[in-house]
Amino acid sequence: MKFAKLFPFAVALVLASAFCRLASAQGLDPATLLKPTPDSWPLYHGDYSGQRHSHLSQITPANVGELTLAWAFQTGQAAEIKSSPIVANGILYVSIPDHVWAVDARTGAQVWLYTYPPNEGLHIGHRGVALYKDSVYLTTPDDHLVCLNARDGTVKWNVVLADVKTGYWTSVAPLIVRDHVLVGLSGDFDNLPGMLKSLDAETGETQWTFYSTAQPGTPGNPSGGATGGNMWITGTYDPELNLVFVGTGNPTPVLAAQTRPGDNPWTCSIVALNPDTGKFVWGFQATPHDTHDWDAVEVPVLVDGIFKGSPKKMLLQASRNGYFFVLDRATGKALLTSTFAAVNWSKGVDKDGRPIHNPEKDPARDGRLVAPDEGGATNYRSPSFDAKTGLLVVSSRDAYGIYFSKAEHGTVGWAGADYGVFGKAVLRAIDYQTGKIRWNHDLGGGWASAGVLTTESGLSFTGDSVRSVIALRTSDGATLWHSAIGHVGNSPITYQLDGRQYVIVASGGELFAWALPEKSVEQTGSHR
Amino acid sequence: MISSLVYRVRKRQRYGVALALLVLTAALSYAQSSKGQEAAAAKPVAASPATVEQIQAGKALFASQCSFCHGRDAAGGESGPDLTASPLVEQDVHGDKIGVVVRNGRLAKGMPAFGNVDDQQLAALVSFIHDRKANAKEGRRRTVDVADLQTGNAEAGMRYFNGAGGCAKCHSPSGDLAGIGGKLQGLELLKRMLYRENERTTEPSKATPTATVTLASGQTVSGKLAYRDEFTIGLIDSSGWYRSWPVTQVKFTVTDPLEAHIEQLGKYTDEDMHNVLAYLETLR
Ligand code: HEC
Ligand code: HEC
Repeated sequence: MKFAKLFPFAVALVLASAFCRLASAQGLDPATLLKPTPDSWPLYHGDYSGQRHSHLSQITPANVGELTLAWAFQTGQAAEIKSSPIVANGILYVSIPDHVWAVDARTGAQVWLYTYPPNEGLHIGHRGVALYKDSVYLTTPDDHLVCLNARDGTVKWNVVLADVKTGYWTSVAPLIVRDHVLVGLSGDFDNLPGMLKSLDAETGETQWTFYSTAQPGTPGNPSGGATGGNMWITGTYDPELNLVFVGTGNPTPVLAAQTRPGDNPWTCSIVALNPDTGKFVWGFQATPHDTHDWDAVEVPVLVDGIFKGSPKKMLLQASRNGYFFVLDRATGKALLTSTFAAVNWSKGVDKDGRPIHNPEKDPARDGRLVAPDEGGATNYRSPSFDAKTGLLVVSSRDAYGIYFSKAEHGTVGWAGADYGVFGKAVLRAIDYQTGKIRWNHDLGGGWASAGVLTTESGLSFTGDSVRSVIALRTSDGATLWHSAIGHVGNSPITYQLDGRQYVIVASGGELFAWALPEKSVEQTGSHR
Repeated sequence: MISSLVYRVRKRQRYGVALALLVLTAALSYAQSSKGQEAAAAKPVAASPATVEQIQAGKALFASQCSFCHGRDAAGGESGPDLTASPLVEQDVHGDKIGVVVRNGRLAKGMPAFGNVDDQQLAALVSFIHDRKANAKEGRRRTVDVADLQTGNAEAGMRYFNGAGGCAKCHSPSGDLAGIGGKLQGLELLKRMLYRENERTTEPSKATPTATVTLASGQTVSGKLAYRDEFTIGLIDSSGWYRSWPVTQVKFTVTDPLEAHIEQLGKYTDEDMHNVLAYLETLR
């Protein structure tokens, strides 16, 4: 209690907040989203910054070798868990298409299961749920948003986001900002405009809809005839600027571009929106006039720091097209543009830091050899930012594909053909000050699906391309621990309960919780 | 959008539309099953003509499980081929070919295994795919015809093969590549010429990497590489046995015969690529 003497004020605060938590009776106080507690992982990215970085430091480079399985949770389903779980009040929520489980975050015991009725929408994957007060929000393959009672998984309400018959589906983990539930749609196989909707967290009423390409029925031709630009990965939020940042997907038709000349804004872009009104504030196009399916939906990571000598509010993105961007997030202007993987499709970078489209590499009747391939230099799997080293750790690929398109392929949806030729997965640490790669860690295969979690003690958790979950030293990428649980299919998270830090990863339909042996926890006596 | 290698149909999955109809088709196939139950079991799918309901059920299943890769109309999607133009679908009789691919997948090529699809679901999928094939519009979306690839100059391709490309170091038009233009055509030949990964995992070939492991005793063991991650090295030894070692306890070297092909991907211009393809096509 020597703290008490030094900081009586702090103790009063702690007591006050403890009392508040009691008063809120197990719900998630939206205010804590601004400063998540160490016993929680209350948002898709852990917090609003998208850094997927934890301040927990019980597990360290020195003791990570002792990690042991604290518990495993088996969904009993064949669908792979691709989602990032949410944790609050000792309960962990995890999803696959049409299913949400609430499990005890200490033990992995099931608390409840909610199953959505069978439906026609696309079941390719599910990214996770969101939590607000005592509600859990689930997007469904047939474009509904279901609000569940977080206590028992019963349905509070269920609203329609779009008509599944038109070709939209949803898989996104919603982003909660105050009473707004932000949900982006998916849909690549029909010429549909990208939509991001804000719904009232209490009632499910639509507050606003942002269209990344022309809303049907609007005059003019703002996107050059393109549709698409879906926002299917959870965005990030800066409370000071009151801006939400979200990446937009590829234009449609996907590979055939003759009907959509120009840059096709705001497809393959990062956009900044006002969360209260949905008003567009700025946009930055990662791929002007995309013809290779390179969504720029990858996590827009928010970093505050010094850049070239002056303090900046920045946004970092390692994009599917192989480019790494540092933007000034107040203005959307590029501070740095570089490549982090094999790229052969551009003619360099323009004065605004955007890659220059090279028509020679557009899909053609006789095929074009293009790097990266359609899977991209990275994809939906989350990167992680470690402030101490200034590194963005990204699961990347050097990959080549051949791209075809001809008039007979039409102008709807895919409108072309492409084939992967070769890929090599490499975990890379990008120094955001220079765009240079600090280290490479070979993941041992061609495909990668695991995201990255960094922690304050200097660890990076991810999965390799063969069958292991691995822990690396963030400063140099050296392997310190692994376990061959199978291919990791989601982005890891961490939290600390009862003085024990847990790291959660998924492989197949199972969740694995790693922690130090209980004995060592006592010995290290860490109670932070 | 995204793509994924590991993607399987859930156990005991039920489909609203499908379910009602399956009761119907089940009744149908029950009526017919007395004469050939065993045959029906071996051939996964009911041999009755597809009903509209069955096609509808197949459509729903296909939309939720297959369309991401093959397109809602089965004419090709993000990573999967146009099934309406597939020779395998052409040859398929009541699912005897499609069923095998769906149940076993082709994991190395990005086609997942749907081991939990039951017979009625498979029958529904098969009837939907055949219906799409019968009714596919002109102008298929994902086909690449042999004629599309005839833009190269064989003469220039030969020069590149013997010169800048350095292909002649390892290949000879009258030796290992003799007749390749007759064996493989169009896209198949182009894919093979660029990189031959997919065959590596299934049938060992000259493209399979080899490993030589030196044990602590000083003894060496060589063979086709069978397993490798950053912790373990495994090979098939000369007597045909799989053997593996922790990498920390042995020394080893791995030789990948396709290393040159991987490097070449970063060097090809599209023109060189088409010229070399044209040259290989002349090797009949
Ligand atoms: C994750 C993507 C993916 C999904 C989902 C998928 N497929 Fe495939 N499928 C592929 C790929 C890629 C191939 C080509 C494999 C190859 O090159 O041999 C393929 C091949 C096939 C073939 C063989 C075609 C041929 O000409 O050899 C059939 C039949 C098929 N798929 C049916 C299905 C059905 C039915 C479903 C749903 C139950 C399905 N697929 C789901 C990716 C997928
Ligand atoms: C360092 C040696 C090496 C070089 C250089 C090389 N290759 Fe190969 N290539 C191989 C090996 C090994 C294989 C696999 C052989 C097999 O599978 O039968 C292969 C396979 C092929 C095949 C498929 C053969 C078959 O029967 O399936 C083609 C076509 C081919 N290479 C073309 C080329 C071309 C064109 C170049 C030059 C641009 C080239 N290679 C350069 C080693 C090389």
